[in-house]
Amino acid sequence: MSAVELTPPEAARWAARAGLPLPADRHAAVAATAHHIHSVVAVLRELDFGDTPPAPAYRAEQEKPYAAA
Amino acid sequence: MQPHELSLTAAADAIRARQLSPVELADSVLERIAQAEPRLRAYVTVTAERTRTAARAAEHDIAAGRYLGPLHGIPMGVKDLIDVAGTATTASSRVRGDHSAQTDSTVAARLAEAGAVLLGKTHTHEFAYGLTTPQTHNAWDTGRVAGGSSGGSAVAVAAGMATFALGTDTGGSIRVPAALNGVVGLKPTYGLVPRHGVTSLSWSLDHVGPIARTVEDAALVLAALAGHDPRDPASLTTPATDYRPDAGTDLTGLRVGVPRTYYFDQVAPEVEAAVRRAIDQLQALGARLVEVEIPMTRYIQATQWGLMVPEATAYHEATLRAVPELYQGDVRVLLEAGELMPAGDYLRAQRSRTLMRQEWARMLTEVDVIAAPTVPATAVTAGQETITWADGTVEGVSDAYVRLSSPANITGVPSLSMPVGHDTAGLPIGMQLLGRPLQESVLLRVGHAYEQTQPVHDLAHAT
Repeated sequence: MSAVELTPPEAARWAARAGLPLPADRHAAVAATAHHIHSVVAVLRELDFGDTPPAPAYRAEQEKPYAAA
Repeated sequence: MQPHELSLTAAADAIRARQLSPVELADSVLERIAQAEPRLRAYVTVTAERTRTAARAAEHDIAAGRYLGPLHGIPMGVKDLIDVAGTATTASSRVRGDHSAQTDSTVAARLAEAGAVLLGKTHTHEFAYGLTTPQTHNAWDTGRVAGGSSGGSAVAVAAGMATFALGTDTGGSIRVPAALNGVVGLKPTYGLVPRHGVTSLSWSLDHVGPIARTVEDAALVLAALAGHDPRDPASLTTPATDYRPDAGTDLTGLRVGVPRTYYFDQVAPEVEAAVRRAIDQLQALGARLVEVEIPMTRYIQATQWGLMVPEATAYHEATLRAVPELYQGDVRVLLEAGELMPAGDYLRAQRSRTLMRQEWARMLTEVDVIAAPTVPATAVTAGQETITWADGTVEGVSDAYVRLSSPANITGVPSLSMPVGHDTAGLPIGMQLLGRPLQESVLLRVGHAYEQTQPVHDLAHAT
């Protein structure tokens, strides 16, 4: 287990902090899935975002550059 | 040819010419459902009485000179994630056991105004959170997955159990089952088709679109669906367009992007061969092939997950606390684990999306469309969890199926999946055409041109 991998009790504690009490029989499965998700999304930390804003919602037709078809 | 075998376009032409009545068509499709549904399980609910009533009304109106257009009297399936007044929107989940939609979603209302006739609600992977739709069986081989999450819609259209259907697409959920069942699926530009009244999986990635037997059919449905609705905050104010492609097949001057990277990596050889043959056919029609470099490929899965996982968990916040035991195991654990994702990861995904959209916009100035496989493999055996590639790499089935379709969800660009052949096991292969935002007409023109060079598809007859 790596230093950043959540243990099942830690996963339960994080979930409880998020307002989701987990029964004991869920701790291991949730910890494993959370670890997998973390391993997938952690690669985004490599990107240099500079001043790039997030794009939570957008209007595709108002943006550039798109030449006329 | 039986009425249930007709394409939407052919059925509409026959209805308009009074050679076919909507009642005959509905009866033929309902009969086909009665015959095939026990093997395929495409539908959550079939509303046969309502169907016949609506078909009789359409017949009466058309006879009285009140013809509404090409969808008038055409029977359709609606993914059970989309509200239709007076029916349950179960999302194929026990969580929605007592649901009843009070009003139509925007898309259901628009199809009703266009005169389309509801057949019933089609199965989805539970709450659209998966790529297989395990309740439903592939239309070509009942031992294979339907694909998902709009599996019921694609199977119904492929097997003649609906003349067209609606699906939703958050990472590939229209195009993946369309490809795996040999039909056409269109994920429109983000915001082109309003999502009001459609159960969300991930607000910033969700799309609604048609599944049909031909590209021309998909164009007819899109014309009825598109248009602004302020109740969807992402809805675009684009003016109405006639999407129906003309009959020409000349693609002279069109630049078709052929990905040098990503879209042909870890792809089954028969899938790659079929898609490259189809691309060669586009070239034979006059298109110029241009190699393109797909940007930021290392960050596609991370961006998709970084957006989808926390948004899905947020949507299900209340029911995950109230009735967690009613979710299927695969969906429940993803929703629970999503609670543990920090906001920083979500924001990085949103910022990555900004970069990715900029890069795709730059790439799409070099070409008019990009042609690529929709999915890297044909339909796997039901219950199969992984795919082992030639180099020994093992990939989860869902990860593989979503891999080539999710870029269009992240960037919002339109993507049209269409059949381009079968593998040696007889399973369908899909090619997707991706284009600039709001350039659906270009995709439909290219797809229709290709389609006219190919023999007409038979309906799927699963064994």
